[in-house]
Amino acid sequence: MKRFILAFIAAYIFIFFWGWLLNGVFLKDVYAQTPNLWRPQSEMMSLFHWIIIGQALIVFAFVMIYASGFAGGGVMAGIRLGVLLEIAAIGMRLGFYAVQPFPGKLIFYGSASGLIEMIIVGAIVGAIYKPAPARTPG
Amino acid sequence: MNWKKFFFAFIAAFGFMFLFGFLWYGKLMHGPHQEVPILWRTEADFGNHFSSLVFGHVVMAFFLTLLYARFVPAGGAGVCAMLGILVALIYAGADLITFAVQPLTAKILCGWIAGHLIQFTIAGAMIGAIYKTDSRMTT
Repeated sequence: MKRFILAFIAAYIFIFFWGWLLNGVFLKDVYAQTPNLWRPQSEMMSLFHWIIIGQALIVFAFVMIYASGFAGGGVMAGIRLGVLLEIAAIGMRLGFYAVQPFPGKLIFYGSASGLIEMIIVGAIVGAIYKPAPARTPG
Repeated sequence: MNWKKFFFAFIAAFGFMFLFGFLWYGKLMHGPHQEVPILWRTEADFGNHFSSLVFGHVVMAFFLTLLYARFVPAGGAGVCAMLGILVALIYAGADLITFAVQPLTAKILCGWIAGHLIQFTIAGAMIGAIYKTDSRMTT
C-alpha cells in the first residue's frame, strides 16, 4: 500500500508538470488557432480543480491496472502498459478529430507527447511499485 | 498468445465499440451535443473525416484487446470487465480535463463518463469471454 501511494504521488507530480509544460507553454500557440473550441482563461481557472481530479483519476487507474496485472515486471512492464494504454488513447483522439474541428497538428503533437508522457509514467510506476512478497507459513 | 482467439476478440470489440459509439454518442447524446454546436464539425466535414473515426476505433479496439490479453492471459469475462472499469476511469479522467478546458455542458460530461464506463466494461467482458484459453490445452 505504501508503494502504491508513493507510485501514485510520483506519477501524479510528473503528469501535472508535464501537462502544464506541454499545454500551457509549448502548445499555447496551436491552441490559440482555435479559440472557439476552448474556454476563456478565466473560466478554465475557475474549473481548474476538475483538471486536478481528472489527472488524479488517470494516475490512480494506471497504478491500479499496473498493480493488479503488471506488477513484478518492473520498469519495462510499466512502460509496456503505458504504451498500450496511450496507443488506445490515440485511437480515441482520432475519433475526436473526426467530430471536432481540431487542427491536425494538435492531434499529432498531443499524441506524440501523450506517448512520451505514458512511457515516463509507466517507468515511474514500474520503478516504485513492487508487489508485496508472498507470505510463507511459520 | 492465441492469435486466432485474439483476432475474433478484436473484431467483436471493434464491432461493439463502433456500434455503441454510434448509438450512445451519435444518437442518444445528439441533443446535448447540439447545445454547443460550435464544438463539432459540420455534417459534410464530418463525412470527410469519417475514415479517422473508423481507423481510431480499429486502433483502440486492437490495443485494448492486446492489453486485456496480456493482463489476463487466461481470459474470463469477469476479470476483463473489471479491467474495463479501470480503463474507463482513465478516460473519465480525460473527460474531466476536457470539461475544464472546453465549453462542454455538465450533461455532456456525465454522458461521456457513463458512456465510457458502459463501453469499456462490456468490451472488456466480451474480449475476456472470447479470449478464454481452454484449460485442457495448457499443461
